[in-house]
Parts: sequence; structure tokens; C-alpha cells
Amino acid sequence: MDVVDLARTQFAVTGSLHFLFVVLTLGLAPLVAIMHTRYAVTGDPLHERMTRFWGQIYVINYALGIFTGLVMEFQFGLSWSGLSRYAGDVFGAPLAIETLVAFFLESTFLGLWIFGWHRLPRALHVTCIWLVTLTAYASAFWIMVANSFLQHPVGSVEQGGRLVLRDFGALLTNPNLVFALPHVISAGLWTGGFVLMGASAYHLFRRTAEREFFTRSLRIGVVTATIGSALTVGFGYAQFGVIEATQPGKFDAAPESALGLMIGIGQLLQFGVMFVLLPLLIRNLLARWRWLHPLLMLITPLPFVAAIAGWLVREMGRQPWLVYGKLSVADAMTPGLSKAAITGSFIGFAGVLGLLALIDYLLIARAVRRGPGQVSLGMPDRPADPVPQPAHSL
Amino acid sequence: MEIIWFGALAVLLLGYFALEGFDIGLGILLPVLGRSQGDRDRLVGAMAPFVLAGEVWLVALVGVLFGAFSTLEGEVLSGLYPLVVALLLTWITRDAGLWFRRRADGAAWRRVWDGAISLGSAGLALTWGMSLVALARGLSAPLLTLEGVGGGIVVALAFCLHGWTFAAWRLPGDPVVRGARRTGRGLALTALAAAIPAGLTVAVVASALIEHAAPPETLTTMGAIVLPCVPILIGAQAWVWRTFSRGPLPTFF
Repeated sequence: MDVVDLARTQFAVTGSLHFLFVVLTLGLAPLVAIMHTRYAVTGDPLHERMTRFWGQIYVINYALGIFTGLVMEFQFGLSWSGLSRYAGDVFGAPLAIETLVAFFLESTFLGLWIFGWHRLPRALHVTCIWLVTLTAYASAFWIMVANSFLQHPVGSVEQGGRLVLRDFGALLTNPNLVFALPHVISAGLWTGGFVLMGASAYHLFRRTAEREFFTRSLRIGVVTATIGSALTVGFGYAQFGVIEATQPGKFDAAPESALGLMIGIGQLLQFGVMFVLLPLLIRNLLARWRWLHPLLMLITPLPFVAAIAGWLVREMGRQPWLVYGKLSVADAMTPGLSKAAITGSFIGFAGVLGLLALIDYLLIARAVRRGPGQVSLGMPDRPADPVPQPAHSL
Repeated sequence: MEIIWFGALAVLLLGYFALEGFDIGLGILLPVLGRSQGDRDRLVGAMAPFVLAGEVWLVALVGVLFGAFSTLEGEVLSGLYPLVVALLLTWITRDAGLWFRRRADGAAWRRVWDGAISLGSAGLALTWGMSLVALARGLSAPLLTLEGVGGGIVVALAFCLHGWTFAAWRLPGDPVVRGARRTGRGLALTALAAAIPAGLTVAVVASALIEHAAPPETLTTMGAIVLPCVPILIGAQAWVWRTFSRGPLPTFF
């Protein structure tokens, strides 16, 4: 592999890892917010347990979203300095806004929500998780604005070999954004729904004591997946016209297999969820038919696979351009980037993030297995005075 | 408009050093101050609620660099390539320690991740110091120099002082700080000390930065969206400090 290939592979690997975790974050955030709201309104302990259990899954998953996101942000400057030199005055604006008004607030409010149990008044605590959800969606919006600009560079003109911003509104109404954003957000809901279904199926299959908890979680999962998958598929097909008009030949450049995989998984699962799983919610048949549960566990990873395939289609179909029709990937690479530098950083990022991602999934699996009875999110705080503690308390 | 965005960049960098410096310093000191597992749990519990609100200052700083000083963004980050890679890897290692240390049982598991916190924090402080020195000397100079290492040690020491003061302020009279107590004013002073290396660097590179600001069209557009949100950003940070300055220690990290 030459230096450009290595830099591209590094971006593809870290970007794919990032989205594996982000897609679940986008799906779980509103579900946890709704659960928390129901708890705040009704005071029902079942809703408190749901908020804490699914909230903990959400939070463990979130950690890797941060780690991989940091690498994504810095990587533009590390390996693709040609992009900031040529298009930074346009492309950089939505990224700067994302970090300042979306992620800055998302992370701050998430800290308040995680550590605010027993400390914040209930209404304010619920407000925090809604603000986290809102800013997570705002984050997705600005990132998609930036990405859509790379697909279809509107709102700018070239002057003296650089792009200058002419019409910011055009970036926000980019035809490559308007269907792709709801497509991505619905894919998040679908993934969140499947994780609820898979984890619930595990407990129902094992006949653990949490029958009511997971029967209700399974129901939320199926309803969310029904809505999410229908919208994902709808907004997916809606993009074909735009792509034909703005990026003709995109699917010749993208690997056929990734497109086929995404559409295949999407279509099959959407029909399955809508015409099989949703009707089986009647009289809780799905929760009672134990023979179906291994299947539900088995299909849990499929929305993740489809999401990554979708990104591969979108990004590889842009090749050989970084900014479509204007700046090639090869020209965007940092001048003088050495093979040793990119090899070293690729091994470092892929090794560390890959290992942490594996650990994170094992921790999520562990949290699911232990169930709502042993959740550390929302546990009581400890007195600040150092009192001698027996070694295994808590 | 260039001056406003230069100000934003400077505030974000100094804010990061002042508000994240104590987390990094306390991370370095974790094995020194926290001899027992219970001690380390209290130290981590004291800083935990501030970490998420502290590290976002750096994320926002790089975002502003990209949006408002785009021609410099690529030059600076790629010019410091090995240092930026080391900074990211040590930062992620520190964060992984915090997020994972209580996610499984067993003394060995927690010891491993506590080790990740201190090694990551030490590496983060050193790479910051080396990066500041490299920035101040201009990017054409070699990255690994004696001055660079010296800068790294200075930043690490300033963070340690700030971290220790934070512990003596949040856990007043606790054996982990040998019974010391510090006031909010003392903490503000060490925040200032932690921010000095960053402040000096900003002063050295100020004119080069302002020269490379993005065109007015870009700066005005971003300003129109970001400026109305500034009170919310400050309010959210103040809310964190108001909520977690006193009282029992959270146990999630």
C-alpha cells in the first residue's frame, strides 16, 4: 500500500469504528430520555429501573463514541491538511459549530446526567437527558452538513485556488443532506430498537426473574425498530434521485457488494419487523414464544452491519474525490506525509481503538447479562469523608 | 471579527489548561496520593464529574482552529504529527481508565485501569508541554528537543500542583492530601498557574494566528450561530461546578 492508501484505510477504519458506536448512541438517547420522563411523571420504580439499565448500556457505548470521535476530528489535520487548505473556510465552519454548540453541550449535559442522580431535582435531571438527546441530534446534523458538502460542494466558489463561502444556507439545504440526515437518524433508532430486542430476548430465553421488565423492553424495541426501519428504507430509496443528479456513476465507484448488503439487510429486516414481529406483540406472543428468541439475538448485529455498509457506499462512491469534482483524495493528503508516520499512527489508532472497542462490547454484554438488578448508574453516592470500608462493599 | 475568533481560540486553550489541567494532574498523582484502592476511588470520584465538561474545551479548540483558522489547522496538526498522535493515544488511554475502572469487579481490573489513568495523564501532560514548545519555536524546528522535554516537565508539574490543590479543595482534610485544605481562591490561583504555559504560547503565536484567520464571510456566519449560544455554554459549565463542588462523591467512574 502506498501512503495515500494507508491514510485512506486509517480514516475508513477509525470512521467505521466511530459510527458503530455513534449509531447506537443516536438510537438509545431518545429511548432513555422517554423512559426517564415516564419515571419522572409516574414515579413508577419499573421506569426508574429501565432508565438506569438502558441508560448504563447507552453510557458504556458512549465512551467509545468519544474515543473514536477524537481521532476523527484530529485526523483531518494530521493526514488531510490539503482539505483544510483548499476548503477549510467552507467545510470547517459546520465542524467548528458542531464542536462548539453541539458536542460541547452534549458532553457537559451528559456529565450532569450521569453524575446527577440523587443530586439534581428530578425535573432538571430529566431535562439533562433531553438536552443530551437534542445536542446529539444537532451534532449529527452539523456532521452531515459537512459530509454532504464533500459529496456535493454547494454554497461556495473557487477563488485563487481555494474555496470561499458564498451561501451558507445552501450548505444547510444541500440535496445530499435532506434525505441522508433522516436516513442516518432513523438507522440509529432501528439499531437501538434491535439492541433492546436482542437483550430482552436473551433474558426471556434464559427465563430470568425480570420477565415484566424485558417483556416491556422487547415491546419498545419492536415498535422503535418498526418506525426506524421503515423511515431508514424510505429515506434510503429517496436518495437515489439526488445521487443520480449530483453524483452520476456513484454506484459504479462504490463496491456493489456493500450496496447490495445494505439494501438486502434493510429490506429483509424491515419486512420481517413490520409483518412478523410487530403483529406478534398482540397478547405478548413474541415474549412468550421462546423458540423465536435465539433468532432475535442472532439478528441484533445486522443493523450495525448495514450502517457500516451504507457509509462505505457513500464514501467510496465519492472516489477519487475528497471534495466531489474539485479536490482529489491524493491532492488533499498532507504534503510530505511519510510512510513511517502514517504506518505508526495507523497501527496506534487501529490497535488501541480496536482493543478498547472489543473491551467495550464485552462490558456491554456483561451489563446485559447481569440485568437490571446490578446496575451501577444511579447508585448512591459515597460520603466524602474517608471512612474505613470493607474491601468488597459496593 | 478576526480578533473575536482569536479571543475564542485563546479562551478555549487557556480554559482547557485551567479546567482540565487538574484532572490530568490528579491522574498523574493517583498512585502517589492514592495508596489504597479506597483512596484512589475517592480521588477519582472527586474529579469524575468535571472530566466530561473539561475535555470538551480541547475538542472545541480544534473545531475553532478548523473553522476560523483553516489554513493553519492542517499545518499545525500535521507539523506536530508524532506529538498529536501521542497526545490522542494518551488522552484516550486516560479516558478509558476513567470509563472502565468500575465496569467490572475485581481488584486487579481496577488497578490496571488506574494505571491507565496515571500513565495516560503523564503522557498527556508531557506531549502538551512538548507541543507548546514546538509551536512557540515555529514548526520547522525538530520536535524532540531538550527544551521540549523541559516544557513537558513544566506542564506536568503545573498540572500536578493544580491537581493536588483541587483534591485539597474538594476533599478538605482528607488523608489523601495529608489533611490539607484549600479554598476556592487557592484553586483559582493554581488554575492560573496551569494556564500560564498555554498563555505564553498563545502570546508568541498571536500575530501569526490572526494573519491566517478565515475570510470575513466565514467568520461572520459562524459568529451568528455560535455567539447567541455562548451564554448557554457558560451556563452549562457553571451548572457542573455548582452541582459537584460539594457533598458526597459520585461512584460511577
